[in-house]
Amino acid sequence: MDARYELFDHTADAGVRVFAPTLPGLVPPAAEGLYAVVGGLTPTGDAQVAQFSLTGEDAALLLRDLLAELLMRLMTEGKMAVRWEVREFTPARLNALAWFCPVDRTRSEFQREAKGVTYHQLAVRPIAGGYEATFIVDI
Amino acid sequence: MSEAFEGPLEQIDECRWRIPRSYKPQMRVDGIIYADDNLIKTIRADKSPEQVANVATLPGIVGASLAMPDIHWGYGFCIGGVAATDPEEGGVISPGGVGYDINCGIRLIRTDLPAEDLRPRLKELIDTLFNTIPCGVGGTGKVKFSKTQLQELLTEGAGYVVRRGYGWDEDLDRTEERGCLAGARPDCVSDTAYQRGHDQVGTLGSGNHFIEVQVVEEIVDPAVAEVFGLRQGCVAVTIHSGSRGFGYQVCEDSLKDLRDAPKKYGIELPDRQLVCAPIHSPEGQRYLGAMRAAANYAWANRQILTHLVRQAFEKVFGRPASELGMHLVYDVAHNIAKMERYRIGNRERLVCVHRKGATRAFPAGHPEVGAVYRSVGQPVLVPGDMGRTSWVLVGMPKAMEDTFGSCCHGAGRLLSRGAAIRAAKGRSIEKELLDAGVLAKAKGRTGLAEEQPAAYKDVSQVVDVVHKAGISRKVARLRPIGVIKG
Repeated sequence: MDARYELFDHTADAGVRVFAPTLPGLVPPAAEGLYAVVGGLTPTGDAQVAQFSLTGEDAALLLRDLLAELLMRLMTEGKMAVRWEVREFTPARLNALAWFCPVDRTRSEFQREAKGVTYHQLAVRPIAGGYEATFIVDI
Repeated sequence: MSEAFEGPLEQIDECRWRIPRSYKPQMRVDGIIYADDNLIKTIRADKSPEQVANVATLPGIVGASLAMPDIHWGYGFCIGGVAATDPEEGGVISPGGVGYDINCGIRLIRTDLPAEDLRPRLKELIDTLFNTIPCGVGGTGKVKFSKTQLQELLTEGAGYVVRRGYGWDEDLDRTEERGCLAGARPDCVSDTAYQRGHDQVGTLGSGNHFIEVQVVEEIVDPAVAEVFGLRQGCVAVTIHSGSRGFGYQVCEDSLKDLRDAPKKYGIELPDRQLVCAPIHSPEGQRYLGAMRAAANYAWANRQILTHLVRQAFEKVFGRPASELGMHLVYDVAHNIAKMERYRIGNRERLVCVHRKGATRAFPAGHPEVGAVYRSVGQPVLVPGDMGRTSWVLVGMPKAMEDTFGSCCHGAGRLLSRGAAIRAAKGRSIEKELLDAGVLAKAKGRTGLAEEQPAAYKDVSQVVDVVHKAGISRKVARLRPIGVIKG
């Protein structure tokens, strides 16, 4: 199974469905899916690494919380994650390094203002060949 | 798109449908959806009635879980949802019943300008508005506030910016809650929310936010229209915006803060987006305080946008806004939760009314309707899509009896954004609007396609239902002639 995302219809918001062969493998395409909801974003400049250490009881909530953090960084710092090293992703823990670059506003198109990564239809589940995650972004 | 609703919908009368509480064992009250025979077909086609049933399970809910005729599928609460909970009965407050865009709302400004005087200068006006109003993703406000000033704004709302010259004193008399909810708690707001919203006061946003130049096309209730200052053939302006990134982050933070509250308080939820806490709990009080702060931010936001709209008109017409008669008609919130008093059974109760995509509609004589409108009732502003029409209604006593003083808020979406973009392929929505007499200007490439008229229900069908149901009454119909979008 290739790691990928696809956008799906939701009446007023934007749905993202993510596929990957492993649980940790869901993280990079989920981030890409979130950025795709916002628009066509192009990074620029040198990357700076940031560490994420999240704990919880539910892989879906951990993924959502990480995506919410990415959205916050995008909207407040204008930075996007361009590379990932996901060291651990279980229902109890998500540890990852992400390399962030500023968004090149001259080569990017912000199409939508993402308000938040909602809890609606939020799911991470095993499927044949790997894992699937879904989340809805309020736009 | 979600599947069709297959649960029971019992027709109560020509405007209302009941989901009986027997539909789900956890339902504490019935669900009631306002719709006619035509609208109920599209409502059944998505799962929004399921959300009405889910809301009916919330602890302390009183009356019924309600939905207005612009109902559509949301997250947790449907859009168009209204629910009141009694704190004395363990009633909860739920951020999902307000939404991310806390106090997203509508403001209507009237003018004495005849539409025919505007037409030769419409393009100049739309261009000036587009260049004057910060809009689009990432737009930043022209008025800057330090954190200390922002904290003051959060407790004082629209009044804070009016006192600094961004509006007229009378604007506050014509704003719901006078543009300020008491009990705002800036200390309950995270640094992240301040970061996200510090430079967005006085910005329009994007998506379905807009500023629309309209003509008052039809007066249905001349007496009330006179009190509202609406004159047939004259220009009006509608602003649709909310609490921007500040409010979005307050909601995000609150959803996280309340995440463990259901388990802590023994609340079982059919949908985790309905996360909630008892109103009297520390979590509930924190959310209420932060939500009120965000609501006040939104009113200050729309107040500065009003100021900028008046400035744009002054620039184009070379006359002061006061001479152009640019008085505020009203400002309503349509994503909010407020403590309000209602007679339920044989006693008056203070309940928390959640309105998610629903508008307050208080009648004549209500003490919370400003003196300027108390003789006739509160204006209820219901924008439609940018191609057809918008409505001004007036609140009626039946709303107090049946819907916790609430009414619809707009047209309600028919098409998803994706479907709307696909439907727009090969077409120029801008040209179609122009052919329909609407000059549209948008910052984003997909904004007009996503927000095209066909993506929405016909607001006149929605308004017909609330009018027939007696919860609000038609006053005037407005037709768009120009619009700017982020």
